[in-house]
Amino acid sequence: MSLSRRTLLKGAGLLLASTALPITSFRQALAQDLPTGGRLIVAADSEPRNLNPAIVASNGVFFVASKVIEPLAEADFNGQDGLVPRLAVSWEGSDDGLSATFRLREGVTWHDGTPFTSADVAFSAMEVWKPLQNLGRIVFANLEAVDTPDEHTAVFRFSKPTPFQLIRNALPVVTSVLPKHLYEGTNIAENPHNNQLVGTGPFKFAEYKPGEYYRLVRNENYWSEGEPYLDEIIYRVLPDRSAAASAIEAEEIHLAAFSAVPLADLARISKVPGIDVVTKGYEGLTYQLVVEINHRRKELADVNVRRAIAHAIDKKYVVDTIFLGYATPSTGIVPQNAPEFYNPDVPQYEFDVAKANELLDQAGYPRGDNGIRFSLRLLPAPYFNETRQFGEYLRQALAAIGIDAQLVNNDSAAHQKAVYTDHDFDLAVAPPVFRNDPAISTTILVRSGTPAGVPFSNQGGYENAEIDALIDRAAETVDTEERTRLYKELQVKVVEELPLINVAEWGFITVTRDSVLNVGNNPRWAVSNWADVALKQ
Amino acid sequence: MSALRRFARSPEGVVGFVILLTLASVALLAPVLFPGDPLRIAGAPLIPPFTDPSFPLGTDRLGRDVLAGLVHGARASLIVGIAAALVAVLIGSIVGTLAGFAGGLIDEALMRVVDAFQIVPGFLLALAFVSVLQPSLPIVILAIALGAWTGPARLARAEVLSIRERDYVASARIIGMHPLEIALREVLPNALPPVLALSAVIVAGAVLTEAALSFLGLGDPNIVTWGSMIAEGRAVLRSAPYLSIIPGLALVATVVGTYLFGEGLTAMLSRREQHS
Amino acid sequence: MKNALKLIGRRAISSIPVLLIVVIGTFFLLELAPGDAVDAYIVSIGGGDAALTEQLRQTYGLDQSPLNRLWLYLTSLLRFDLGWSVGFNRPIIDLILERLPNTFYLMGSATGLAFVLGTVLGIVAGARIGSPRDRVLSIGSLALYAIPNFWLGLVLSIVFAVQLRWFPTSGIETIASGKEGLARFLDIAWHLVLPVSALAMIYLALFLRVMRAGMAEVWRQDFVRAARAKGLSRRRIVLRHVARNALLPVVTMLGLQAASILGGSVVIESVFAIPGFGRLAQEAVAMRDAPLLMGIIVVSAVLVVLVNMIVDLVYAFLDPRVGASERSS
Repeated sequence: MSLSRRTLLKGAGLLLASTALPITSFRQALAQDLPTGGRLIVAADSEPRNLNPAIVASNGVFFVASKVIEPLAEADFNGQDGLVPRLAVSWEGSDDGLSATFRLREGVTWHDGTPFTSADVAFSAMEVWKPLQNLGRIVFANLEAVDTPDEHTAVFRFSKPTPFQLIRNALPVVTSVLPKHLYEGTNIAENPHNNQLVGTGPFKFAEYKPGEYYRLVRNENYWSEGEPYLDEIIYRVLPDRSAAASAIEAEEIHLAAFSAVPLADLARISKVPGIDVVTKGYEGLTYQLVVEINHRRKELADVNVRRAIAHAIDKKYVVDTIFLGYATPSTGIVPQNAPEFYNPDVPQYEFDVAKANELLDQAGYPRGDNGIRFSLRLLPAPYFNETRQFGEYLRQALAAIGIDAQLVNNDSAAHQKAVYTDHDFDLAVAPPVFRNDPAISTTILVRSGTPAGVPFSNQGGYENAEIDALIDRAAETVDTEERTRLYKELQVKVVEELPLINVAEWGFITVTRDSVLNVGNNPRWAVSNWADVALKQ
Repeated sequence: MSALRRFARSPEGVVGFVILLTLASVALLAPVLFPGDPLRIAGAPLIPPFTDPSFPLGTDRLGRDVLAGLVHGARASLIVGIAAALVAVLIGSIVGTLAGFAGGLIDEALMRVVDAFQIVPGFLLALAFVSVLQPSLPIVILAIALGAWTGPARLARAEVLSIRERDYVASARIIGMHPLEIALREVLPNALPPVLALSAVIVAGAVLTEAALSFLGLGDPNIVTWGSMIAEGRAVLRSAPYLSIIPGLALVATVVGTYLFGEGLTAMLSRREQHS
Repeated sequence: MKNALKLIGRRAISSIPVLLIVVIGTFFLLELAPGDAVDAYIVSIGGGDAALTEQLRQTYGLDQSPLNRLWLYLTSLLRFDLGWSVGFNRPIIDLILERLPNTFYLMGSATGLAFVLGTVLGIVAGARIGSPRDRVLSIGSLALYAIPNFWLGLVLSIVFAVQLRWFPTSGIETIASGKEGLARFLDIAWHLVLPVSALAMIYLALFLRVMRAGMAEVWRQDFVRAARAKGLSRRRIVLRHVARNALLPVVTMLGLQAASILGGSVVIESVFAIPGFGRLAQEAVAMRDAPLLMGIIVVSAVLVVLVNMIVDLVYAFLDPRVGASERSS
């Protein structure tokens, strides 16, 4: 079966190469042999209070909302610059970085029948993304206006040079387009359509039963001919992890994304007939395991102490035992999944307890009579099993070099307050996300000057003028090559100075019944529109 | 002396006593038997039990010794159980004695507070309390005690009401002892025995509540408890069931032991009452 | 009957100050929490800047002083308004009313089942104290009572739902099934078999033990000795005299345990993914949603008061004097 499909793929590819059709139509040609119809049931681990992806750009929201509301472009394994068109068909940035032009798709209608036009894009950008969206506030900070010369062209104008590389990389995440006619003149943040979504996507929002499920139904008028394949998608709310694993095994659900099945159970469940474990489809959603450091602690302000801690961490153990192999050791603040920016040529801190001890001795922190050099508080973030387990491991790893770490387990609100608002920690374990471009959510981890209260940012009081300058220069460098080079330089600086320690990076795992087709076929699969997902009957 | 003999005549009590004695000695000897941190990563992860002589009960997901965890967990469970019962009985007896002895408005006010604690589900209260004050051993103990002190309080108050008119109390009042002094020195010791019988039930309940809190991730992360071991083992319940079964059995044994012991105590006390 | 109503009225009035203590106590407990609902929310969406958090705090009145908020809360409570949930962005009363039926089904059936089975088995055990049957039941119930209910739930779910597939693993009903009436009722019942069993087994042990202990007590009383002397059949004595009188402490127990039974729903609802009251409480804790948690605690306190009123009524019907007059006839 898979062999015949691959041959088919190859043949089709050759054929298409001569006629130079865009990639999308190639996929449609292939898709004709997919079965249509059926109800796909997937596990959802949370019920976002606001389901509007234009306001809340988070994976929990996208998981449901991306099927209903579409962005201008989506991530793709093969597309140019890693993108494939959605509501925009082409895009271009000006050389001075002061404007960006989007050609929009024609013949698209909203789920209520109103035509989609450039006015919707302009409205979304100016009234929602820039002022209200958690990430749009950063990416579109300098957006001044959006001109709409015609119904299918939108020209973004910026007050300061804004690298188009950044805008392009952010497109899948920050550009979910809302229907202007339903939002204009209302209190956007409290609009009832934030939970009764109306979009242009392959599925229409049908029903939400709190605590139980979301139901989406097929959009008969979807702009992409023949899609979607499914009749219905149901998100069954299963906050308990072992409940998701049991439900998929008992064939009550088809699919559990975002590692809803615990890593520790994967080895066993992958042997159950009819169940597949899929690791692809999260390349654009890389999570990083990071040790955050409070530089206000005098010991930790010493770079040699930080280097000693880096030497004390056995990344291989972390990857093999905590992540059971479903992760990669990190080398720096940019993950390997971002080849555009990733720089492998950075200093390494190999696992070496003796060297770590030596560094600490030299730094002037000898072991006391009880074998302890100094004590500190370690706050593992509670969001993932793995961050908590790494906290337990790190406590042991630090004990080996004479640092006594007391674990403080907080729930998420208390952790956010202690670490990011009150700075009441010495070391913390955090899982920040790399979002396709370092300027979106990565440089904030090391740059100084972020006010207290902002999670996943530098709240450890670290200040390095050189690093700050590098980040600021990159932020306004319009030239793609030069900008990329600056970020590669930044990676070296960060690893040398260790304002934080990057330990590992991971994507999530999807566990699925083998009747679900086209699982994991793009880098943001779980949060993409699933127009091409089909169910074997 | 005769009380002891009465206790020894109840088979439940004896069995319970033996179980508890074993647990207590294991708990006391934990630092000798397994020195060092039981949360230490000691070997390869997920060694099954009875396969490696250096880890008789195997290792968990991170390679920690299950037997060491079990032994140190006995310590934590007993500490939580006994301390929670002590705190509950202490608060309960003081409040109950005060209320019973003072009477009037103070009694009324104190008993309304007791009512308030009684109508709030204890586990909900513990959940809120621990999540608000952050999980640590003393907080967990206090949280459990908060849901358990009303029983002793009511019992102590009833006892006080029944004995406060007795002769020795009346005579103490005549010789001019301060009411509080009478309450603490004369009434409290007499009200204590039935309260103690109740405390076995509280200990058993406390051990189970601690396990449930740890199961929901609200235990002290710096110590190993049976509840946290079950919670840890839950992710691998299907592939390594021993990780949750072993601490689960230990938990059942402790609770059963405590109950049986409590029954022995009750038997001892009720027979004493019959004699008197 | 009139007396019973008077009793209920008195209960209702005296519970008002108690509920007030609960509300104020809970409020100040939750004030101690580090971090608020906005902190929890910002983290759940993967971060946002400082102005956004400020804006959210203003929207939900979290920037006001605690005393102000307590006053607002108490005054709105008088209008039966439980406030607005920050975590769910919905009125709290809606959330609670939505979840309450599920918990009612779960707890009602578990308690009912445990009560009936526990009492019957308690009679069986108490009929001949010290017999082998009594020993087996006593020790068996003790072992059941000692099993943590979450653990029992996990094991039941794996054996009967995943391996044997007799019952669903989780949930309250088949999702989006469109079932109505009896079909829906049966569907819910089918989903509840495992969680109800897990809970009922523990309370069954409790009722059994109280019933048995009560019977042991009654056997020693004079009227039973008299009945035996009269040569009444043992079965008749056990059922008409001993069990009937021993039932009273069991009913009292039901009232006393109402609060802890409600608390037990938290863990079981989490294990079986039942969208009930207990899971809502856990979610409220996780989202640091103080008004929601307050609402849950207040509503559960009211429920416990109501259950106790019902217990009072039942007690009035089972009043020993009724039995006494019958005995003398």
